[in-house]
Amino acid sequence: MTTVDRREFIKSAAMSAAVAAAAGSTRAFALPVLTAPGVQWNKAPCRFCGTGCHVLVGVEDGRVVGIQGDLKADVNKGLLCVKGYHVGQILYGKDRLTTPLLRKDGRLVPISWEEAIDTVARRVLKDPKGFAMYGSGQWTIPEGCAGNKFMKGGLSSNHLDGNPRLCMSSAVTGFLSTYGVDEPAGVYDDLDQCDVAIMWGNNMAEMHPVVFSRIVDRRSRGEKVTIIDFGTRRTRTTDHADEFLLFKPNSDLAIANGIAHLLVQNNAYDKDFVARHCNFRQLDPEKPDAMQGKPMTFDEYAAALAEYTPERVEQISGVPADKIRLLAALFARRDIRITSLWCMGMNQHTRGTAINCLVHGIHLLSGHFGKPGDAPTSLTGQPSACGTVREVGTLCHLLPGGRLVANEDHRKHAEGFWNLPEGRINPKPGYHTVLLFEKFCTPTDKGGDIHTLWVQVTNPGQSLPNLHKLFKAKKGLEDKFLIVSDVYPTATTELADLVLPSALWVEKNGMYGNSERRTQQWFKMVDPPGQARDDCWQTIAVARRLFDLGFEGMKNKDAEFLFTFKDKGGKPVPVWDWNHYYDINVDEAFFEEYRPFSKLKQKDLAPYAEYARTRGLRWPVVQQPDGSWRETRWRFSEFDDPYVKKGAGTQFYNSVTKDDKALVWFRPWEPPPEGPDADYPYWLCTGRVLEHWHTGSMTRRVPQLHRAMPAAYVEISSTDAARLGVRSGERVALVSRRGRLELPCWIGGRGDCPEGTVFVPFFDESLLINELTLDAHDPFSKQPDYKKCAVRVERVVTTGAAR
Amino acid sequence: MNPTTRRRLTAALPLAWASLAGAGLAGSLIVNPPDLDPAPRADPQESRRWVSNPVPRPAPLAPPVLTPDRAAAFSESLEARAGLRAYEGAPPVIPHAIKDLDLRTCRTCHATGLRTGDQLAHAVSHTHLANCTQCHVEAANHQFAPVHDPANSFAGIRPQAAGGFRALSGSPPNIPHTTFMRTNCASCHGPHGYPGLQPDHLDRLNCVQCHALNAEFDQLSPAFNASARENPTGEQRR
Repeated sequence: MTTVDRREFIKSAAMSAAVAAAAGSTRAFALPVLTAPGVQWNKAPCRFCGTGCHVLVGVEDGRVVGIQGDLKADVNKGLLCVKGYHVGQILYGKDRLTTPLLRKDGRLVPISWEEAIDTVARRVLKDPKGFAMYGSGQWTIPEGCAGNKFMKGGLSSNHLDGNPRLCMSSAVTGFLSTYGVDEPAGVYDDLDQCDVAIMWGNNMAEMHPVVFSRIVDRRSRGEKVTIIDFGTRRTRTTDHADEFLLFKPNSDLAIANGIAHLLVQNNAYDKDFVARHCNFRQLDPEKPDAMQGKPMTFDEYAAALAEYTPERVEQISGVPADKIRLLAALFARRDIRITSLWCMGMNQHTRGTAINCLVHGIHLLSGHFGKPGDAPTSLTGQPSACGTVREVGTLCHLLPGGRLVANEDHRKHAEGFWNLPEGRINPKPGYHTVLLFEKFCTPTDKGGDIHTLWVQVTNPGQSLPNLHKLFKAKKGLEDKFLIVSDVYPTATTELADLVLPSALWVEKNGMYGNSERRTQQWFKMVDPPGQARDDCWQTIAVARRLFDLGFEGMKNKDAEFLFTFKDKGGKPVPVWDWNHYYDINVDEAFFEEYRPFSKLKQKDLAPYAEYARTRGLRWPVVQQPDGSWRETRWRFSEFDDPYVKKGAGTQFYNSVTKDDKALVWFRPWEPPPEGPDADYPYWLCTGRVLEHWHTGSMTRRVPQLHRAMPAAYVEISSTDAARLGVRSGERVALVSRRGRLELPCWIGGRGDCPEGTVFVPFFDESLLINELTLDAHDPFSKQPDYKKCAVRVERVVTTGAAR
Repeated sequence: MNPTTRRRLTAALPLAWASLAGAGLAGSLIVNPPDLDPAPRADPQESRRWVSNPVPRPAPLAPPVLTPDRAAAFSESLEARAGLRAYEGAPPVIPHAIKDLDLRTCRTCHATGLRTGDQLAHAVSHTHLANCTQCHVEAANHQFAPVHDPANSFAGIRPQAAGGFRALSGSPPNIPHTTFMRTNCASCHGPHGYPGLQPDHLDRLNCVQCHALNAEFDQLSPAFNASARENPTGEQRR
């Protein structure tokens, strides 16, 4: 039966079943059994967030027919969240993109793949320096490898950035500033063993529910775990918390400094740990833009903290002084284990690097580090923000394995591993996301020197801040060309000049890297619809077209094609030809080329086959004398990390100061760049909801998820609603300095805002809250602040029909 | 009807919703590329309107009736059960409005199971899991109407009535569903369970003594890994 026939059949069969049910069943007794003899089950990481759950995907007759939580997976141990259980449906939305589309006379019309690939190549040839790529933490690791090598190794251009800039980059600068190397030292196992879990502006119950359950389900086993929720609004996480500390937006730095101050003042910090493993640091007032700052003594550190008394912190944050003392008292205890968890609350912050450093600092100062259950752990929002972006280095200043484009040695390493002529890689970092889109949306004659942008696997037309300025301004700029590789029409494809239909999730091979340094692998299980093809193939095909057109950059040192892959017999395979793309495992080839990069910063990866065999492994993965590969759970801790010297206990072997010590930073609290005032008296916070992932382009195609959360809304306190004279469901207008949006309000709904704050989820492409948000960003990470800007709320007078 | 197509039966319930939600609300916010099957757009004012209790929910389950027509009750219960799931194995959606915060209220009725009036609450069969709404979401949002019902051609595994799954006539049947997170058989098969699904031997408490797990489907079955055709050799598909 063809797909169409089968769908018709299903429809008619279901209707007759409905009729039969309505008429009253007279069917004979029959025992229902779930024989699923034709269903093949295979493992894959979930497509959505950075948690990295594994699912078992049931496939029958070339279609996904069921999903199970994978009992063999360490991360989720058989459990999923509602998105994961319904992840199979994302492949089957009716409006999947199935053919390349080119805008001609204002309309997108189908074209052939040959014409599409040639079109991209011609845009490169127009001026390679003005051609940029925008990738994603949803890129698989091999897709990231392809994009990175294509841009940095092929075009000698570092104008490659990605969505994690909007999501994780402040966590990166926090780790780099503190430990000299990116990514958490701890793992999810900490959640099984901590006595206290602190949520720093982190609604884990909705955003990372599976790992949140790892904490709260311990209570069902009779264990005691204290959950402390720091937040600017009540959420479902608050429901499970023992303490809820409501703080004023942007005051988190004062709170963190308040805790550190009490630890120092009460002589309650871990003197031994600090003496052996910590140096102190502050920004250099003469060079405030230098991320490495300048050293300070412990006494200077103590003096800088002195103003953050509990009373002063209460004044700034609204958190009662006694609660600050309670937190400091918890950190002062050596007999308990404390895990801090954060995600967008701390990262999407104009002081993101600073608050990340301060939370690491509290853990280091108090010695709550490096023992199971004692960890400062950041969570990621995208499935491979760590694997593809932070590790492969698909940002404008990075090269694979924690290397920098600005570092000559690092460039030489990359040129060596990629077999490129010396000097191929450009030493100048490219444009970071906000700047990249600003340059793309600015007319060429006014300095907008990016003429073409190729977006893969993400949706900046919805996820960028200040959309009118950073995305919609592209409209009408004749010499700008937007290429979008995606699976569904989105807010981004709306302005695209060329749309390339992509394969999605288990329609292709893939590898991801989750929040806890776990590298994961899956195999293709079903075919993509129509002419949709792998993103990785698209990149290779464009590269090959450029090679055929004589573009020098697409040749390696031996004048071979940049992406030359050979079969077992040593014969090159023409993987740029879609008919031969799966003749070899291109993922494996990319991964094995990338693996040697991972050694420099002790991020060692195992061979591809080890990941095919397991439910992921956490790096560094080090080979044992018996030939097996061992993952590392607690990094920098002697009992688990093979790179720590015997007898060191804890060793920060990537230390900024080259003395195996971490840096405890002092960073002052400062007022935000924009806050409520007379004209715009409310704080606006944006975020996600349980049912939808990122911009909703996948989850809104799933009936169960869409029906449960069909549209965006504005959450407003009952006091403010009464003052405005609006009730739940009535429409209000939010107005910021950058845009205006009408939404229904919801009082006492999914969350509960305090007076003076409103919250809007960003998943709804018909209600783009990012038209209002602020593009101000952290000076080090360049990550914008989506959590805090000023708005006005207006009652919308409507006719009766609108209600 | 062959087993494959029977298993693919899309539940009648979602289709009914689709038609009810249809007509005026059938527009799509999804941007359709021109010339590619454009869907009609709803009036944005109309489509974003808020209504209380906008979409018909699945009917509450009737309390078990000790009816002589056990077969009919059995079939109807299976229909009702399947109607709450995207596929066999998916967590059921919640057929009533919920409080979005203070989720411990779930346990008021679902801790031990409850029958009140014509409504029946099953006992939760995995009491060790504390975050109920992580997996279970409302069948229809109690505050906002869907602007469109997403067209999706997914057709999942369905339970089927296939004349029994017994080794021999008279053997105890295998368990026709997965058993992970089902620690309490009485949730569905006990007094507050589905009509028609109670066994005639409720006095026997060790169910899995006689009813074997289904190795085709159930990861807890010792035979699952052997039969489930995972991909241990790491061969990619062409």
